[in-house]
Amino acid sequence: MKGTVIAVTGKGGVGKTMLSALLIGILGDSQPGKSILAIDADPDSNLAESLGVEFQKTVGDIREDMLREKPSPGVEKKKYLDAKVFEITVETDNFDLLVMGRPEGQGCYCAINHMLRDIVDNITKSYDYIVIDAEAGLEHLSRRTTENVDSLLVISDASKKGLDTAKRIKDLTRELNIKFNNLYLILNRVTPENKDVLEDEAGKLGIEVIGSIPDDPEVSDLDLRGRPITGISQESKAYKEAENIARKLIKNG
Amino acid sequence: MTDKIPVEVGIVHEGERIRGPDMFLELGGPKVKYKAELVQVRKADEIEDGKVIVIGKDIPEFSEGDRSSFGILVDIYGGKVEKELEGVIERRVHDFLNYIQGFMHLNQRYDIWCRVSKDAKEKGLTFKHIGTAIMNLFKTAFPFIEKSQITFMTDEAKVKEHHDMAIKIYEERDKRVRGMKDEDVDVFYACTLCQSFAPNHVCVISPQRVSLCGSISWIDARAAANVDPDGPNFAVDKGELLDEKTGEYSGVNEAIKKATNGANDRFFMYSMFGYPHTSCGCFEAIAFFIPEVEGIGIVDRNYNEAAVNGLKFSAMATQTGGGEQAEGFLGFGVEWMHSAKFFNAEGGWSRIVWLPSHIKERVKEAVPEDIYDKIATEKEVTNLDELKKFLQEKGHPVVERWGAKGDDLKDKVMSYIQEKDGEIYPDEASKDLGITEDELMKIIEKLQEDGALE
Ligand SMILES: Nc1ncnc2c1ncn2[C@@H]1O[C@H](COP(=O)(O)OP(=O)(O)O)[C@@H](O)[C@H]1O
Ligand SMILES: [Mg+2]
Repeated sequence: MKGTVIAVTGKGGVGKTMLSALLIGILGDSQPGKSILAIDADPDSNLAESLGVEFQKTVGDIREDMLREKPSPGVEKKKYLDAKVFEITVETDNFDLLVMGRPEGQGCYCAINHMLRDIVDNITKSYDYIVIDAEAGLEHLSRRTTENVDSLLVISDASKKGLDTAKRIKDLTRELNIKFNNLYLILNRVTPENKDVLEDEAGKLGIEVIGSIPDDPEVSDLDLRGRPITGISQESKAYKEAENIARKLIKNG
Repeated sequence: MTDKIPVEVGIVHEGERIRGPDMFLELGGPKVKYKAELVQVRKADEIEDGKVIVIGKDIPEFSEGDRSSFGILVDIYGGKVEKELEGVIERRVHDFLNYIQGFMHLNQRYDIWCRVSKDAKEKGLTFKHIGTAIMNLFKTAFPFIEKSQITFMTDEAKVKEHHDMAIKIYEERDKRVRGMKDEDVDVFYACTLCQSFAPNHVCVISPQRVSLCGSISWIDARAAANVDPDGPNFAVDKGELLDEKTGEYSGVNEAIKKATNGANDRFFMYSMFGYPHTSCGCFEAIAFFIPEVEGIGIVDRNYNEAAVNGLKFSAMATQTGGGEQAEGFLGFGVEWMHSAKFFNAEGGWSRIVWLPSHIKERVKEAVPEDIYDKIATEKEVTNLDELKKFLQEKGHPVVERWGAKGDDLKDKVMSYIQEKDGEIYPDEASKDLGITEDELMKIIEKLQEDGALE
């Protein structure tokens, strides 16, 4: 079995975490019985908070622990790490969450990283949907060894930097040899004022636009109150557009 | 109860995870104190072939969402089955249990973590089914197993008893693994994981030489190679032992030649001179030769100050790493310091003169008692002059080399030159003699001053 892998990327602050969380909620509601794995692959991120769950440890923490305290010599490290990763996977009724955490530091991690990469890849095979909240550098994606990304979603807001980053990400996928089936652009925080210019500029990037999420006061409100985005009302503009996006991904995926 | 297992059994189910919402029962795992699995070799009359014993509740007797202590004991007999095989066979318990649809097994030893899915429970899966299925798998994989019997325990008191007994057996096994010698095996393993950073680097991992990063022991490499023989960890037939002291093996030489595309074709496994093992960039520690005292210093990745030679780890790492053979420098994994082959060619611990105090503390057990206090740390010594004094005061074995060395080496070089009829090549000669080219040139100058050479 191979699940549908959706990765969300873009410049910091454009709405990756918001969209990832919305998609996870929508997939859970619209596809009962399907299993969903959320991966927080952005070290500066807060996907857990946006989903309203708590986590204890990251994959990065496991790597650090492993360098400090070595298991007994007769123990197989990979089996040991495998269980550790399973242990830190947050389980909820609707989805599981794995937080990648800090990227590797200065120690030697080749071997441990290789094992962890394999383990995470292997885990994703047990789910129907995998949603990855990824940073713009695509570090985590470039390290995946086996599974392809089905849909790579690049988000941009109405800023030159956001669009430039989207363009860079497109180039980066080629440099890093990241395999994906579809690359889509999603515009976020769209207002009646910026809509025309934004769509015009986005058109120049040569990436198919499959969504245009309005700037939504309900999102800002939840954010301000520190409430998880998954608590958003189904009538809100952002939720409705995220639903449209999800529908396209399910059909394509 | 029908005897036929009501779920599928096969390798396709191997990576299957049972998530919280799909789980009926959790056996062992981080939230349960006692759990352990063990394989034991028995005498023929001690076990009953094909028998499955359940002590405590069986799967159907639990309620949804329960969590239980868990013990597995696999008893086997075979005329050719040796005690040493227990660990190898035990590793397969994980694989075989995972073949069972709706049963998940993670980890090993006293850390096992299993789950039974709601689906499997509904279909009526019992321990009897599971036990029978895995005993069949064992007999197929290891035809020399003539009899097997399996016990599942969920009764807490019984699991605790089993756990305490198992702990002692694991300890014995660890001792055996630590005591395993390169002579005891025919196969070493290579690791090319770091070739993305250092294309010419390959780690050769033997029972007495852990990978440079310290993360892959011979056991880990063997496990990886069994799963993926063409992957980054592959078997290396060690071949013939060409030199016991330096640890040169014909098979290793052939393997590194292939793995480095000919960039390197000789490795001394236990030496920092001649053809030392290359270093990637990920070693835990670096050893550096200190010609002024004829000894070896060690600095590890976590030591941020300058070492006794005035250089920091990071500076030496640049010189050492990258997959080049750098005589007088060697990257290694800290666990190697426990090995009897640790700098075997140079004289082992009797050549170590300096290392950071936290490492000295960490490997205390490995250091011969009579040398421990003679090795300096940053607490006693911060430069070479102080080091010299310290070593002399403590009577470190390297001190003996200081005076004698000159004459000794002169003789050695002289006879080498005679052997070669006066035709020598400095790079080859220095390697053959186990000294640096600089040292060789100095000795030749001295010999010329003495009038022994023209
Ligand atoms: N459509 C939107 N309407 C209103 N606020 C939004 C919208 N999209 C994102 N935001 C706000 O922008 C900020 C950054 O969003 P976030 O998802 O954390 O970005 P990223 O994960 O890309 O760094 C948050 O405060 C979020 O609430
Ligand atoms: Mg974010």
